[in-house]
Amino acid sequence: NNAATTLTSYILFTFWAFLLRINGQLVALKVIHMKTEEGVPFTAIREASLLKRLKHANIVVLHDIIHTRESLTFVFEYVQTDLAQYMSQHPGGLHSHNVRIFVFQLLRALSYIHSRRILHRDLKPQNLLISYLGELKMADFGLARAKSVPSQTFSSEVVTLWYRPPDVLLGSTDYSTALDMWGAGCIFVEMLQGKPAFPGDATEFEQLQTIWAVLGVPSEDNWPGVSQLPNYKPGQFTLPASCNDSTLLNQLPYKTEDLVQKMLKAAPADRISAQDSLQHPYFSTLPAPIRHLRDTVSIFKVPGVHLETEVRDVFNPGRRLKPTLLPTAKCW
Amino acid sequence: MKNPGAAESRRLVVLLEAALLREARLWKVPVFRNGCIQGADISSSQHQDMILWLGDMSRMFHFCPETFALGVCILNRLLSTVKAQPKYLKCIAFTSLVLAAKINEEDEVIGSMKDLVMQSGCNFSTAEILRMERIILDKLHWDLYTATPVDFIHIFHALLVSGHPHLVPSIGLGSGKTPPDFQAVLWTRQVQHCMACHQLWQFKGSTLALAIITLELEVLTPDWFSVFTDLLKKAQIDSGEFIHCKEMVDEYLRSLEFSLPANAVYIFDSAQIQDEERARSPMQRLGQARRGRGSAEQGDCDEYYDGLRHLYSEEASPGAEGSADVSAQKNVSPCPPLHPAVN
Repeated sequence: NNAATTLTSYILFTFWAFLLRINGQLVALKVIHMKTEEGVPFTAIREASLLKRLKHANIVVLHDIIHTRESLTFVFEYVQTDLAQYMSQHPGGLHSHNVRIFVFQLLRALSYIHSRRILHRDLKPQNLLISYLGELKMADFGLARAKSVPSQTFSSEVVTLWYRPPDVLLGSTDYSTALDMWGAGCIFVEMLQGKPAFPGDATEFEQLQTIWAVLGVPSEDNWPGVSQLPNYKPGQFTLPASCNDSTLLNQLPYKTEDLVQKMLKAAPADRISAQDSLQHPYFSTLPAPIRHLRDTVSIFKVPGVHLETEVRDVFNPGRRLKPTLLPTAKCW
Repeated sequence: MKNPGAAESRRLVVLLEAALLREARLWKVPVFRNGCIQGADISSSQHQDMILWLGDMSRMFHFCPETFALGVCILNRLLSTVKAQPKYLKCIAFTSLVLAAKINEEDEVIGSMKDLVMQSGCNFSTAEILRMERIILDKLHWDLYTATPVDFIHIFHALLVSGHPHLVPSIGLGSGKTPPDFQAVLWTRQVQHCMACHQLWQFKGSTLALAIITLELEVLTPDWFSVFTDLLKKAQIDSGEFIHCKEMVDEYLRSLEFSLPANAVYIFDSAQIQDEERARSPMQRLGQARRGRGSAEQGDCDEYYDGLRHLYSEEASPGAEGSADVSAQKNVSPCPPLHPAVN
């Protein structure tokens, strides 16, 4: 688990020098080598000071910081895997019950940070750690930032393209918590279908095309103000009629479809908030007490909450279930 | 602007409570004894000059007011934690601002460390700044997100807009053509001025912010009292300390008034609001109110503050608040006769 990241010129590289046993507890080390002229990278300062004030069962715990002249080491709680790895281990879509449990925890973490006016701004499966129990922990707050109440303009170059909402792709810098809700919606779909919701090609224009192919091209009628966005050009997005269908969303069971659609609204103002989404009927099959836990208590403390065994497992192909037990179609 | 509702108000109260908790945990300012920071040779005027200089730097680098406020909070926390020598004061202050910028500003705004140092006109070496950065992060345990006075201005402003929508047209909280955060910008500027006044440091950011807003509300609306008690209650601010702070802020801001661009802004405001049937010009209102406050304060302030304290400690029952409103509306003076409301 040592993804080398070159984030900005400030950082030469960052890696996870995993697994150390301190006081009998497993920890993960994130080592950041510094280019000396700029001091501590802003991503590290933001991440550390944010994690100092965020105490939540679905947010990774930062135990300690070791700061020397050349490097900076963050000591995190050790979490076994992340959602990207989990999905590649269980291809073709996750068990619908497990998706529900993961999405609930993701929205719980988002509701917590959003109520403190903090945006994550870089949601993607790699940044969601998964414990062996199934606990989801939001990590990598390097691009997160505390946000004061009136909306400020942020630079638009922050979110990984596949999880970037259309308003930001169209050049809006006036984004808010709806930014993270779009990313969460994309991850939701990816867990269900086993492949990314909007795997666009390299450019922002192509990413928008991929989105419009599913949601339809927006207009002033369904998204007031869209034509005022910096990168909006009328007539720019004309899709072949055959392309303009929403089969992607129509295959879903009703309640799932409803929540996914509320999260993946093109117009940011129409997107459901994290707090409201936790009350959605999609979660009604989970035990009621999980909605009334203290921030720091894991949902797995509630009796009856557990992960189901995934149907497919690339590490245990022999354990494959009988074909009749597999979902009939490649749908969620 | 989003239409405010009860849910938004609840969300803001959660936000305010989180900010108050952070303030209670992290707010710290140096103690002054005999004109110097206790345990160090830094005088209050040196300290004050440094904060004014940080304000200049912050403007020059195009940082937002939140960054300036956070930089000052980091500086004050450090000075109250370690014994600093005067010769390092500028380096500490500058590094505090750089740290605040790294947290608050987008990276493309910050620029390289070398450029910042060069523009500042200081002759620190980068190595000095980096060493100081390490010391500050270490001494403050990397825990830099203090809730600043500017944060509280924004939160209180949002609470006013969402909780008292009837005020929006009357006091220009985002009415008509003025931008929604117009008043907040004005208050932010005032709070920045107050942060450079060492007598005002002894008050927490939440108290300072509420004092500034209340002074303004008194002038802008006859309905200010019920609005203010609501905010005071939500912010769990001690009323005695609040009264003390408000008096000092009032005095300080009036001493600055000639240099404040605030008056110019009022004139601009009046132009915007005139179409909304404003009978008197805000300049008249302002003048009258300021005079009124000046003369009324001498004689009436004891009774007035007693009344205030009384009202607050009795939880300001809805009936009492209501009648305070009525009496306030009859008399547009900034100090409404409160006694009937209490007794």
